Amino acid sequence: MRDVAITGIGSTLFGKHEGRGLESLAVEAANTALRNAGVSRKEIGALYLGNFIAGPLSGQEVLAGIVADELGLENIPCTKVEGACASGGIAFRHAVLAVSSGMCDAALVVGVEKMTHASGGQVTQALNCAMDNRSDGPSGLTFPGLFGLAWRIHAAKYGTTRDEVSSVVIKNKANGLKNPLAQLGAELTFDVIRQSQPIADPIQLYDCCPVSDGAAAIVVVAKDRVKDAPDLPIDVLASVQTRGSPRIAGHRDIVSFDATVKAAEFAYRAAGLAAKDIDFVELHDCFSMAEIIDSEDLGLVPRGMGAKWAAEGRTRVGGDIPINPSGGLLAKGHPVGATGVGQLYEAVLQLRGLHANQVKDAGIGMTHNLGGSGIACTVSILKRPDV
Amino acid sequence: MPASAGFVEVLKCSACGALDAGPREICPVCHAPALQPGKVPGAGSLLSWTVIRRPPAAFRAEGSYAVAVIELDAGVKVTGRLDSPDAGGQLGARVVLAESKNGVPVFRLA
Repeated sequence: MRDVAITGIGSTLFGKHEGRGLESLAVEAANTALRNAGVSRKEIGALYLGNFIAGPLSGQEVLAGIVADELGLENIPCTKVEGACASGGIAFRHAVLAVSSGMCDAALVVGVEKMTHASGGQVTQALNCAMDNRSDGPSGLTFPGLFGLAWRIHAAKYGTTRDEVSSVVIKNKANGLKNPLAQLGAELTFDVIRQSQPIADPIQLYDCCPVSDGAAAIVVVAKDRVKDAPDLPIDVLASVQTRGSPRIAGHRDIVSFDATVKAAEFAYRAAGLAAKDIDFVELHDCFSMAEIIDSEDLGLVPRGMGAKWAAEGRTRVGGDIPINPSGGLLAKGHPVGATGVGQLYEAVLQLRGLHANQVKDAGIGMTHNLGGSGIACTVSILKRPDV
Repeated sequence: MPASAGFVEVLKCSACGALDAGPREICPVCHAPALQPGKVPGAGSLLSWTVIRRPPAAFRAEGSYAVAVIELDAGVKVTGRLDSPDAGGQLGARVVLAESKNGVPVFRLA
């Protein structure tokens, strides 16, 4: 297998893009990535596009081919990848595989979603396509509901409190204020969060990521073919993908996702690293409680301590393990199919030392993208080449 | 309250005897295409619960409702409902089947 590097990155703002379609967002991000990738369009040998709900919300499929045509790429394989909220991370992994296997020398990854034009009920209904609708769907469970179930168990097992969980929200919202791409950065207080509307007990409004539009793109290139990249190429040490149970009741424990635990284990092994080597992580905080579970599943925070570490400031920039310096899904936004690619975009900026909320001396970064009720997961580990 | 808890519909593998909450196509244990409808007593314990206050479009007409994960004494975990949005209890609390609504088991605190 050949070594792979990220050379080009691009992203739209995450947020509300009124009057703009999926294609417009995807092409903006992808064209930016291509223009600073140091490879010509002719050298792009494959395109993988992560998207989840363009079908139900916009009535548009075959996006991979549409975007490639707009970009003026050759008659290359163009594949749309779907894995619920992990669609973008999975698209990235497939591009890395295409290049590392020797199938092509360079590949383009695009993630895109358009959600804000639909009503809240339509969005919830569309997102529920990520459940096993033979089993959990008929009960009326929602994704906030899943993390409400998890919260009660986490609180019973580890004594996690409302205010400790709020520390995650306050941190990510504050990080988002520093990120120019973020949709909903804010300065929040424990009181404001405690008084926000109930969504799926104990989950309240500020525990949830917003509904977002956005796109992000990445160009991956075989390391021995990187020549004229204008910006520092970033090494891909690992990009792994796993699956977990499609059903809530299929999880051994609702406060841990097997897919994340396994993906982290495989990624550390592939990179020859351990959790202590990771300088920062962009992880899948679709809900405050999700960040707590993810940070424990990735081995970055001791089991049961996810909320307490946030409350003690150990997960902010400058802490033991900065989590979501971008603001995460909670503040940056969650255009579902774009999210995994957006996390990689943020990690590349950190490793180049160019992030607006920079982690000092960031040398090794991790991204974690989780789909559905833990059915699909990707974990990637990136490295600055001089580390 | 009556002692009878009613029965929850599950799947039973006629090849190896495994139980599963279903729906499922083949046995998750021995992979035989031999799952048959079965029933187990509707008594168990509450693993966790939540109240859905922002339902998806298909459930909007119901207002708020409580979803719970129940570990049945027969050893099968099921996702179902509690009989009232205010029905919640301590995790581990005993529950029994109250009714089945559109194929979804609805439980109440025992």
